Amino acid sequence: MKKIISISIIVMFITMASGCTHQDDNVIRIGAAGPMTGDQSKMGVDLRNAVELAVAEWNEKGGVLGKKIVLLAGDDQADPKQAVSIANKFIDQKAVAVVGHWNSSCSLPASKYYDDANIVMISPATTNPRLTLQGFKRVFRVCGTDDQQGKVAADFVLSRLHPRRVAIIHDKTAYGQGLADYFKKALGDKVQVVYYGGIIQRDPDYKAVLTTIKEKNPDVYFFGGIYPEAGRLVRQAKEVDLNIPMITGDGVFDTTFISLAGKSAEGTYVTFGKEPTGLSTAKTFIEKYRAKYGDPGPYSIYAYDAANIILSSIAETKSTDGGKIAAYISKTTFHGAFGDIAFDKNGDVTKAPYVIWQVKDGKFVEVP
Amino acid sequence: MFVQQLINGLALGAVYALIALGYTMVYGILQLINFAHGEVYMLGAYLGIIVLGVLTYWGVTAYSLPAALLITVLVSMAFCAAYGAVIERVAYRPIRNASKLAPLISAVGMSIILQNFVMLSQGKEYKNLPPLLPSEGFSLFGANVSPVQMIILSASILIMVGLQFFVAKTRLGKAMRATSQDRVMAGLVGININQVISITFMIGSSLAAVAGVMVTLYYGVAHFFMGYLAGIKAFTAAVLGGIGSIPGAMLGGFMLGLIENFCASYISSVYKDAFAFLVLIITLIIRPAGLLGQKSVDKV
Repeated sequence: MKKIISISIIVMFITMASGCTHQDDNVIRIGAAGPMTGDQSKMGVDLRNAVELAVAEWNEKGGVLGKKIVLLAGDDQADPKQAVSIANKFIDQKAVAVVGHWNSSCSLPASKYYDDANIVMISPATTNPRLTLQGFKRVFRVCGTDDQQGKVAADFVLSRLHPRRVAIIHDKTAYGQGLADYFKKALGDKVQVVYYGGIIQRDPDYKAVLTTIKEKNPDVYFFGGIYPEAGRLVRQAKEVDLNIPMITGDGVFDTTFISLAGKSAEGTYVTFGKEPTGLSTAKTFIEKYRAKYGDPGPYSIYAYDAANIILSSIAETKSTDGGKIAAYISKTTFHGAFGDIAFDKNGDVTKAPYVIWQVKDGKFVEVP
Repeated sequence: MFVQQLINGLALGAVYALIALGYTMVYGILQLINFAHGEVYMLGAYLGIIVLGVLTYWGVTAYSLPAALLITVLVSMAFCAAYGAVIERVAYRPIRNASKLAPLISAVGMSIILQNFVMLSQGKEYKNLPPLLPSEGFSLFGANVSPVQMIILSASILIMVGLQFFVAKTRLGKAMRATSQDRVMAGLVGININQVISITFMIGSSLAAVAGVMVTLYYGVAHFFMGYLAGIKAFTAAVLGGIGSIPGAMLGGFMLGLIENFCASYISSVYKDAFAFLVLIITLIIRPAGLLGQKSVDKV
């Protein structure tokens, strides 16, 4: 009896293992990677939905190179370790290209694996400048960078808010700390930075830091980080009686921030790209997205464009070779839903207009 | 600003203390570290949001906010007490006399089950609670004591005094102490051990429910993973105060809250957890049984 059981277990394992290696080679696989569980899950899900939408549209038209396109979704949980294992999974599954990752701390380690495995990577949201400065030919992004963003934020603070004292906090991630550093650098010595320090992501309580900041009596504070932490920060700031505006970056640009913080979110400044709704192509995208998934997040349209860039490049080059596709991408101007996109020699977009937004009556409004 | 930090730390510590009480009571009776306890706290927070939502829908919140909050806490306590009793019945009682490791593994398993249960039924997103109470409270030596902080501090101190009285003075409390000293002997003199253990779990779980509801009011968010970190912190507080000792859990909770807050404000907010554990290690080197813990001779 024991023998039979052990033999059947062995047989089971063998069949399972063979099941893993068996892959249909008559399809083209595109990865979508981002945080799809955890507190930043909305961003990853938005990203996946947008890529899914693009893939579905292409499949309706008959796929690409006569093959059906299959979407592989990878949840990196906003965790760098998980991001690398997702990258390895995509490599094993023979993905041609990847849209992702969302967080800078995930894109940076994962990019090396994709480049080594001849996979094209286009991040829709990673703004840390280092991503495209690593010399990888197959790594691109369709959003701006933190040095541009930090400079826009600093210029706005200096020219419009005229503070004498500024406090800076960040969430210790590649994105948050990077952005905070660029902001600080852009401020230069025109203003006194009275506090500079990190907080821990996912920590529920930031009152201690906020009380310390209040003691230093700044006129405005900058936060480099993502919306869950930003929501708690502005909410708890009011509780310790710290009534100065927060200025922060694109990671906070989502309505979840406002629902997290309620009235405390009012007056917060956020740097983000210009509103896309003026473009007719963007309108079509938003309507289609809304019909299928509900409200599009801030980065859905970037992910959609990234997916379309990849798929049209595969179609144009008639190749699934990462190197060839990347070469084509880097010298072509694409007409995305978000307007024309062209890449410079590093893989950054040639124009990245950041503007300042402010929360007013529970909505993000562009500051004129 | 020292006073503000003190109040922030005390409010945080009160929450740790309430959760730590559940750990320490169960440990006192079963010598079991109930890893599912943090999850009960998380359930309490979710229940709080659900009940408040229902009450708002019915118009109770608009009619009387204090009544709505009181109902929320009571309902959440009742549900969590039921959860606590069921967890004990399902996961611990069948293997109570097995080796010490078996209930520990069972506890970890229970914790994972509850987490996934909430994740699948309530979603992976953060649940938000809009601020119900004003953030402006009364001013104390230049510090702002918000209404939520006042509720947390007064409710937890009231509960702790009540619990201390219950354990020291009532018949059931006496039965609890007897069971914790020697389970077999207590059974022989006619104490219904199963009942006592069930009640211990129910009390511990309802305290966690209070903590869960108050934290949601305080921070405005709940998510399925929140029980993990809070559980670890509360467990640390219980060990710091001396696990098995009820006043120890209270002291440990408040101390941990204060240490974290002062470290975050005067040393570095990034290293506050590390600093809290450093204090724990130093305490355990000097007093291996914790601050108020008694050295046990016969229990291993």
